[in-house]
Amino acid sequence: MAYFRRKKVCYFCVNEMTDIDFKDVELLGRFISETGKIVPSRITGTCAKHQRLLTNAIKVSRLLSLLPYCDSHK
Amino acid sequence: MRHYEVVLLIHPDQSEQVPAMLDRYRQVMNAHKAIVHRLENWGRRQLAYQIEKVHKAHYLLMNIECDQETLDELNHLFRFNDAVLRSLVIRRDYAITAMSPLAKEANKYQEPVRSEKRRVEVKTTEMDNEEQK
Repeated sequence: MAYFRRKKVCYFCVNEMTDIDFKDVELLGRFISETGKIVPSRITGTCAKHQRLLTNAIKVSRLLSLLPYCDSHK
Repeated sequence: MRHYEVVLLIHPDQSEQVPAMLDRYRQVMNAHKAIVHRLENWGRRQLAYQIEKVHKAHYLLMNIECDQETLDELNHLFRFNDAVLRSLVIRRDYAITAMSPLAKEANKYQEPVRSEKRRVEVKTTEMDNEEQK
C-alpha cells in the first residue's frame, strides 16, 4: 500500500505574513501544545524563518500573561 | 524621535483609576511633544497565570513616538506605580495605527447587548402584528 503524506506548508508563508504580532493570541495559541509548549516546526510545518519569529512572539506574549508558560501554574 | 509600543498590566482593583493614570502619562508626553499614534484599552482580561496573586488585569496598549528622555520618564512612572503589575516597551520601526486583534476581542463583549436589543425590537413588532390581526 502506497501511503502518501500530505506535504505540510508554512502557515505564515501561505498568508504572506512578514511579521508575527505578539498580541494575536488566537493565532499564537494554535502553535502551542496543550501543556503550553511551543510546537516544533517539524510538526506544524512552519518554515525556519517564521518559526524564529513565532517563538519570539510567543515568548513576549507569555511575559504579558497572554499565554501560559505551562499547564500547571501555581 | 523613535516609535515605541507600550503594554501595561494594571491591577484590577485600580481599574477605575485608569483614566486618571492615562491623563498623567499624557501630560508627560505632551510636555515632551511626544505623539500618540494608537491608544487601546482592552479592559480587564483573564491572565494566563497569576501575577502578584491576581488572576485578572486591566490591559492598556500605546503606540507612541518620543525621544529617550520621555521614555525614561515614562518607565520611571511605570516602575514606581504600584498599580502597574507589569509593563513592556518594544521599539517599532514605524507608527502602527490599525486596531490590534485583542482590541477587537474586547469590543465583542459590547455586541451581544446590541443583538439583545434587536431581539426586543423584533418581539415588539410581532406583538404589534398580532394586535393588528
